[in-house]
Amino acid sequence: MSGYLEGVLVVLAINIILAYAAFLPIVAGQLNLGVAGFMATGAYVSAYLTNAQGWLPVPSALAAMGATALLALVVAVPILRTRGIYLALATFAFGQVVVAIILNLDVVGGASGYPVRGYLGFPVIATAAAAVFVALYCLFHTRFGISVTAVSDDELVADQMGLSVRWLQTAAFTIGSAVAGLAGALHAHHFSYIEAQYFNVLLSIYVVLYVLLGGTQTIYGPLLGAAVFTLLPELLRGSAEWRYVIFAGLILALMTWRPQGVVTRSLLRRLFEWRRPPAAEAT
Amino acid sequence: MSARPILALEAVSKSFGGLSVIQDLSFAVLPGERVALIGPNGAGKTTAFNLITGVYPVDAGRVLLDGRDITRLPARKRIRAGLARTFQNIRLLQHLTVLENVMVAQYARSASLVGMLQPVNLLPGNRWQREARDALGEVGLAQYAEAATGSLPYGIQKRIELVRALLARPRVLLLDEPAAGLNPAETEALAAQLEAISDAGVTLLVVEHDMHFIGAFCRRVVVLNFGCKIAECDSDAVGDDPRVREAYLGADQELAAAHA
Amino acid sequence: MLAQQLVNGLMLGSVYALVAVAFTLTMGVLRFLNFSIPGIFMVAGMLIWAMLKGGISLLLAVPAALALGAVLSFAVERLTYPQMRGGNHFIPLVSSMAFLILFENLVLIVWGSDQQRLLLPFDSVSARVGNVVIGVPQLIGLATAVGVVWVLDLVLKRTRIGRGVRSIAEDAETATILGVSVGRVVPVVFLIGGVFTALAGALFALNYQQASPFMGEEVALKGISAMVIGGMGNIWGAILGGLVIGVVETAAIHWFGARTVDIWVYGLLLAILFVRPTGLLTSALGGGGAK
Repeated sequence: MSGYLEGVLVVLAINIILAYAAFLPIVAGQLNLGVAGFMATGAYVSAYLTNAQGWLPVPSALAAMGATALLALVVAVPILRTRGIYLALATFAFGQVVVAIILNLDVVGGASGYPVRGYLGFPVIATAAAAVFVALYCLFHTRFGISVTAVSDDELVADQMGLSVRWLQTAAFTIGSAVAGLAGALHAHHFSYIEAQYFNVLLSIYVVLYVLLGGTQTIYGPLLGAAVFTLLPELLRGSAEWRYVIFAGLILALMTWRPQGVVTRSLLRRLFEWRRPPAAEAT
Repeated sequence: MSARPILALEAVSKSFGGLSVIQDLSFAVLPGERVALIGPNGAGKTTAFNLITGVYPVDAGRVLLDGRDITRLPARKRIRAGLARTFQNIRLLQHLTVLENVMVAQYARSASLVGMLQPVNLLPGNRWQREARDALGEVGLAQYAEAATGSLPYGIQKRIELVRALLARPRVLLLDEPAAGLNPAETEALAAQLEAISDAGVTLLVVEHDMHFIGAFCRRVVVLNFGCKIAECDSDAVGDDPRVREAYLGADQELAAAHA
Repeated sequence: MLAQQLVNGLMLGSVYALVAVAFTLTMGVLRFLNFSIPGIFMVAGMLIWAMLKGGISLLLAVPAALALGAVLSFAVERLTYPQMRGGNHFIPLVSSMAFLILFENLVLIVWGSDQQRLLLPFDSVSARVGNVVIGVPQLIGLATAVGVVWVLDLVLKRTRIGRGVRSIAEDAETATILGVSVGRVVPVVFLIGGVFTALAGALFALNYQQASPFMGEEVALKGISAMVIGGMGNIWGAILGGLVIGVVETAAIHWFGARTVDIWVYGLLLAILFVRPTGLLTSALGGGGAK
C-alpha cells in the first residue's frame, strides 16, 4: 500500500474512533464539545508512559484510555447535573481547561509540543478502529442502547420505567470519553508528536459535526460521517481550507433539509427492503 | 384474600410553592381490586399518581406497597417493586420503535448490569423480543412492532403504552385516563383488556372521567376534590353521594357561570 | 501596579463585554448559543486590518466592518431561525458552528494564516491619571462599549421593537398571539448582535494592533464565559461578565503568565455552571431557561 493511501486510511481510522466517541453521548442526549480535551488526555498520558516510563505503545494506549475514563467519571458527577445547552457549555469549558492545563505542564513539553516515542502503524490503528466499531455495535444493540435513547427522549418516562437515568448518562459520557482518549493515544503514537494547541474546541466541533452529518439514529452514521469528512479533500484535491468550507456548506444544507443526518432508521429499512424481497408477514 | 392492602396512602400531603395540592390523603387498595380515582379537573388525581410512583416526593405521610414503606424509595425502584403506570398524555419515546418502546419496561424485571447488557436488539430471535412481540400480538398490535411511534393513531398509541406498562409484570397498575380520547369500540376493547389483566391478578387503580366505564368496570371509587378525599364508596353508590354531586355540580356551576 | 492591571483589565473587558452582549441577546431571546459570533468578530477585525493596509481611511473602515457584521449576522439568521421555530435549539447551534468554520476558512483562504499587525494611521495617545497609564483609544473603546449598551438598554425598554424583543424572550408563543411581529423582531436581534460583535472585533484589532484568522477562537469565544457569568439574557450582566473576564485575564497574565489564561477564564465558566448557572445577575430579558 502506498504511503499516501496508508496516511489517509490512518486518519480515517482515527476519525472513525473519534466519531464513536462523540456518538454515544449524543445518543444519550449530551452534546460533548469537550471531546478534544479527552482526546488530549489520552494522547498525553500515553505519550508520557512511553517517553518517561519506557512502556510499549499498545499498553500505554490502553492505560491512557483507562486514565481518560477515570477523568471522565470524575467530571461526570458535576457536569451531568446540567442539561441541554448548559451541558454543552460545561463540556466546552472543560475541554478548554484541560488543554490549557496541559499547555502549562512543562514535563510534557508545555507550549512547545511533545515528541512521542513508540510508533503505531496502520495495522494496529485499523484494528483498533474495527474493535471500537464492533464493541459499540454490540453495545448499541443491547438493552443499553435502547435505554440511553430512552433517557435522551424522555428522562421522566425512563425513570418511571425503572431505568437508572444518572447511571446511563454517566456510562455514555464515560465510555465516549474513554474512546476519545484511545483516539488521542493512537494519534500520538502514529504522528510521533503532539501539541496541546491541536486539541482545541474547533476539533471538538468538527467531530460533533461530522457525527451529526452521518446521522445518530443508527450505528452506521458515524462511519459515514467520518468517511465524508476524511475523504472529501482527497476526492476534491483542494486545499485544506476549501475542504472545510465545503464541509461547512454541507452541514448548513443538512441542517436545513435533513437535520436527522444522512443515515436514518427509515433509510436503512428502505435499503434492506431493496436488497431483500419482503419476507412473508409473520402472523 | 389477604386483608393487607397492596397499595396504601397514609395522610399524604403535597404542596407546590405554597399551594397545597394534596391534603391528608388516605386510602387503601386491596390485592386484586379495581378501584377508580375520580374527581373534577384539578382535584389532584394525576398528582396523587405522581406521588405514588415517585415523580415527586411527598411532603408528609406515607406510601406503602404491600406493607413496605416506599415513601423514600426512588421512582425507578418502585416499578421494579411491582408498581407500573400509564400517563395521561401519551408518553411514548419518539426515537424508538414500538417494539423497543414496550421493551423498555422489561428492564424493571432484570435490573442489573447483566440485564442492561442483554443483547436484545442483536439477533431477532431472543426471548425478550419474542416476549414483547407476543405481548403486542395478544392485543392485536403486532403489525406495529417496527413502526415509529409518532405517526400512529392516538388510540393505538394509548394501547401500546398499556402493553409497555404490562411488560414490567406489575402487581399494581396505575392507569391515568386510559379511556380518554378513545371511541366506543376502542373503549370496549380496553375494558376487555383490563378485565383480562385484572383476572390475571393485577390490582388496578384507574383515574377516569368516563363514569359509564367506571361503573361497568370498577367496584370501588375514591373521590377527590381540591386535593382531599371527599368520599369513598361502591361505584354504584357514588352518583347518589351528596358530597360527590356537589363537587361535580359545583364544578358545573362554575363552568356555567364562566360561560354566562 | 494593581490599579494599572485593573485599568488594563477593564479596557480588555470592554471588548469581551460587547461580544458577551451579542451572545446574551440571542441566548436570552432565542435560547440559541450563536457560535457564529466569534467568526463575525474575526472577520470584522481582519477587514479593518485589510482596509488600513490598503490605505483606506479608518472613518470608512470601521463603518464597513460594522456593516459587514450586520450582513453576516443576517445571513446566519436567515439560515438558522427557520429551524428554531420547531422548538429545536440544537439545530441552530450546529448551523452556527458551521458558519464559524465557514468564516474562518474563507478568511484563511483569502488572507492566509499569519497573525497580522495593524498599522494605525495615528500615533497612539495615552493619558496619565496618577500612576496609571490609560491608552486613549482603549478609553474610547470602553466608553463606546458602555454607551452602545446603554442605548441598547433604552431601546429594549422604551421602543416598540424593544418591547417586542423582551416579550419574545419571555415567551415566543404568547408574543405571537399578542401581535408581536416575530418575523420582524428576530432579524433585528441578530443585526444588533452582529454590529456589536463587529464593533468588538474592530476595537480589539485597533487597540491591540493585531488581527488573525484565529482571533475569533482565541478572543471572542471567551465572551461565552462572560455571558454566563453575568447571567444569560441580561445585557448589563454581559457588561459585568465581560469586565470580570477582562480583569481576570489581565491579572492571570500578570501573575501566572499568559499560558494560564484559559485555565482561569474557562475554569471560572465551569465553576459558575456548576455552582450558579443562572449567573451573577438574574435575567432581565426573561430568557436563559434550562433547556
